[in-house]
Amino acid sequence: MSALEFLDTLERSGLSTWIRESESAFAYYFVLVIHNIGLALLVGACGVLGARLLGFVPELPVAPLRRFFPIVWAGFWLNVVSGVFLLIAYPTKALTNPLFYIKLVLIALGVVALRRIERQLSIDGAARDATPPVTRSMALWMLGAWLGVLTAGRALAYTATYILYGKGT
Amino acid sequence: MNFDHLHLLLNHVPIIGFFVGAGLFVASFTGNNDDLRRSSLIIFAAVALLTIPTFVSGVGADRSIAREPGVSDALVRRHEGAAMLGLWFVEATGAAALMALWRSRRPGGASRRHLAAVLVLAIVAAILMGRTGNTGGDIRHPQPGGAAGAPVAEGLVGSVIHVFEPAPDGFTDLMVANKWWWASMMVLHFVGLSLIIGVVGAINLRILGFAKELPVGPLHRLLPLGMAGLGINVVTGMLAFIGMPAYYAADIAFWFKLAALMLLGLNAAVFYLTGIFHRVERLGPGDDAAISAKIVAASSLVLWFTVIISGRYIQHFEDSLRF
Repeated sequence: MSALEFLDTLERSGLSTWIRESESAFAYYFVLVIHNIGLALLVGACGVLGARLLGFVPELPVAPLRRFFPIVWAGFWLNVVSGVFLLIAYPTKALTNPLFYIKLVLIALGVVALRRIERQLSIDGAARDATPPVTRSMALWMLGAWLGVLTAGRALAYTATYILYGKGT
Repeated sequence: MNFDHLHLLLNHVPIIGFFVGAGLFVASFTGNNDDLRRSSLIIFAAVALLTIPTFVSGVGADRSIAREPGVSDALVRRHEGAAMLGLWFVEATGAAALMALWRSRRPGGASRRHLAAVLVLAIVAAILMGRTGNTGGDIRHPQPGGAAGAPVAEGLVGSVIHVFEPAPDGFTDLMVANKWWWASMMVLHFVGLSLIIGVVGAINLRILGFAKELPVGPLHRLLPLGMAGLGINVVTGMLAFIGMPAYYAADIAFWFKLAALMLLGLNAAVFYLTGIFHRVERLGPGDDAAISAKIVAASSLVLWFTVIISGRYIQHFEDSLRF
């Protein structure tokens, strides 16, 4: 079975068809809502963290912001799971669009920057509040990556070449 | 659903609000009355919020009134053009008023230049709201001699303002003509959403007792970032509405989202105007907030997620309303 035939098989599966075609409010748009909430938690919390690390409101202590990491990761994993469901619903649409792979690379970049910031804050965040230059540039990387992920994700809706197997736009 | 009645109910708010607000604002400069100035700034912000459902309900009213005989299409378009111009001045005045309120808490207060900008915006907005009200009234009560379909005769002021008024259908077509323009607005709307929920969520969670090591005062100073997100989303949201007015007006999820936004305005008023904020602002690391503050913080979180969820469901509920 070739890779393209696999897309066809996946699209014909019960789950894929149900998410895509069900009239229920708990099918496709529910997955989108979860993806949107995940985005709000991830990018929202990272936005606050990034803004502080870049020097916004210097009187705000940095160390307690570590408490927001569970929210960041909850948003991240919500979007991994809901993203997989969206991929199951429209595999051809995503996998035939180069932008989808760019989005995946940007997600990887964002996670690397986020992990480095998290480690930095757990080592010396509690001791001092002056942010080291490395953390500042990491914050910039992270915010840039999430902005790119968000833009690419939105643009996926407008740039598809094929919507379903064998069906162009 | 009868948007005709909703529009008639709401449409006096921007007009009377801006006339009263602008009057009080001017009066506050004689004798430098700070309380009066603060009240007028609050009125501008509140009316800017209420102008959104007023504007939006007009499309529904347009649909129901267009079926009636004797209603001039030219008069309806003229009123829509007036509203589309006035809307931006009302929203700009609201934004400038919120910034002035924010700055007034610092020593020295808002600068004279800033207050002058609010004054000019408010007066222009009041004039344009007057014009919008007059052109709206003409739809039901045309001037004598103005037969349906006849060209609209403008007075001196009207003909000057009319030069700046967009053609409503042209404005709508402009928003949807290019898919990249539309896509950019949607990207910005999601960036704005992230800014709002990040800042407002962090403040609300702290008040609820999460990350208690954070002092509330400095955390709250992130608010301009969230308000920038709100500004982005009011602009992109209203532009999207102008692009597809009938689509949004016929959607129950859209109205649900708007209702949640109005309740958020009420929630913010309770938070900032009843002294809850003054007590919360002083909380240092480890301090517990009062139950009243926690209730307001929890309802803010619930309402903002309601806005996100109902916004995302707009596509699903396409054509869910008949009017």
